[in-house]
Amino acid sequence: MQRRTVLRAVSAAGVVGTAGCLGLGDSNPHVVLDEPDRDYASDELPYPAWGQRVPDVTLPDPISGDSFSTRSVEMPAVYTFFFSHCDTVCPVLIQSLRNVQTHAIEEEYADAVAFFPVTFDPERDDRERLETYAAEMNVALDAGNWHFLRPESVDRAKATVEEEFGVAFEKTRPEDMDTYMFVHAAMTYLVNADGYVERAYRTDTPDPERLIEDLRVVRNG
Amino acid sequence: MNRRHFLTAIGGLGLTGGSVLAVRGDFPNLFGESSSLPVRVETIDAPGSSAGEVTVPNAGSPTLIDLFATWCAPCKEQMDELSSVYEEYGDRVTFVSITNERLGDTLTERDIRGWWRRHHGAWAVGVDPNSDLMAALGAGGIPYHAIADASGTIRWQQAGLSTAETLRTELDRVLEAP
Repeated sequence: MQRRTVLRAVSAAGVVGTAGCLGLGDSNPHVVLDEPDRDYASDELPYPAWGQRVPDVTLPDPISGDSFSTRSVEMPAVYTFFFSHCDTVCPVLIQSLRNVQTHAIEEEYADAVAFFPVTFDPERDDRERLETYAAEMNVALDAGNWHFLRPESVDRAKATVEEEFGVAFEKTRPEDMDTYMFVHAAMTYLVNADGYVERAYRTDTPDPERLIEDLRVVRNG
Repeated sequence: MNRRHFLTAIGGLGLTGGSVLAVRGDFPNLFGESSSLPVRVETIDAPGSSAGEVTVPNAGSPTLIDLFATWCAPCKEQMDELSSVYEEYGDRVTFVSITNERLGDTLTERDIRGWWRRHHGAWAVGVDPNSDLMAALGAGGIPYHAIADASGTIRWQQAGLSTAETLRTELDRVLEAP
């Protein structure tokens, strides 16, 4: 019986509860946060979700010159996906991470979390552009915990951001603009130090307060 | 079905466009937390604003609420629209501009004050680092505007750049209501 069917059956029997606390074997030894309240299992989703391993991806940070492997970070990490010419959703996603970064610095846990905004526009988001963008968005690059990741090519962006992280994007040519843009999904991941997804926030407005609280639990877990 | 095919199948569900303003409007609070108006917001010392707290919306007069951020390009343009409306309505309507940016080394109160001065702000300006006001209004992005009547009930709200003309129309509607 699929989990969904189980839940439906339990629900029909009048049991009050959510998917995360029914005690039907929903716990996961790899994560600290409870299963989110939802009607489906992680393996039914088209992206890595609660309790699953973060995709095994290695990408370069063009500003530091280092490369980062998702499964070797060894501390809680927050990922989001963006392109810097975006004027709709991406600034909100980046700003949410930046607000968490500022909290981390102010509350002195900056060395216990890493931020990885991944661009899917390697053609334009080069080192110089990303440095400028960081300054515009008030990101503290000197804190040492913020790493823009840039796939080496458009194909590599598709192979990692879309295929591995499940964040779809597609180039568009708006009639009123002289440059290309993207339509894209919005996603932010909180991954624990062991490389398991604690939360996949599938929203274009991640709540910094929720992120900060979830991160606190994960850091202390 | 691999991930890409599945995503293609769900297509329009999760995709967001790239050519409109820096906003997404009218989203419910996705985390299911209850937050409601009014909200107490910390204000900073800046032209037309003094350090302390304000209640948003203000009780006793209509309130024009402006959600902004210093990184938001349309918010600069918005200040011109707000300034001209403030000159006409500032004596009858409480104006308040709130950013959800968290203050720290890379963005200080002084930076907000500088931004405010450069864009000729002349009314209360505050910070809402936990996005309580954004959540209470259901605002999914900025700029975002809401108008409350004197009883504190939200009568109008809109995501994106609001023209002076629109703001005048909506303020008149609230001021003229019986």
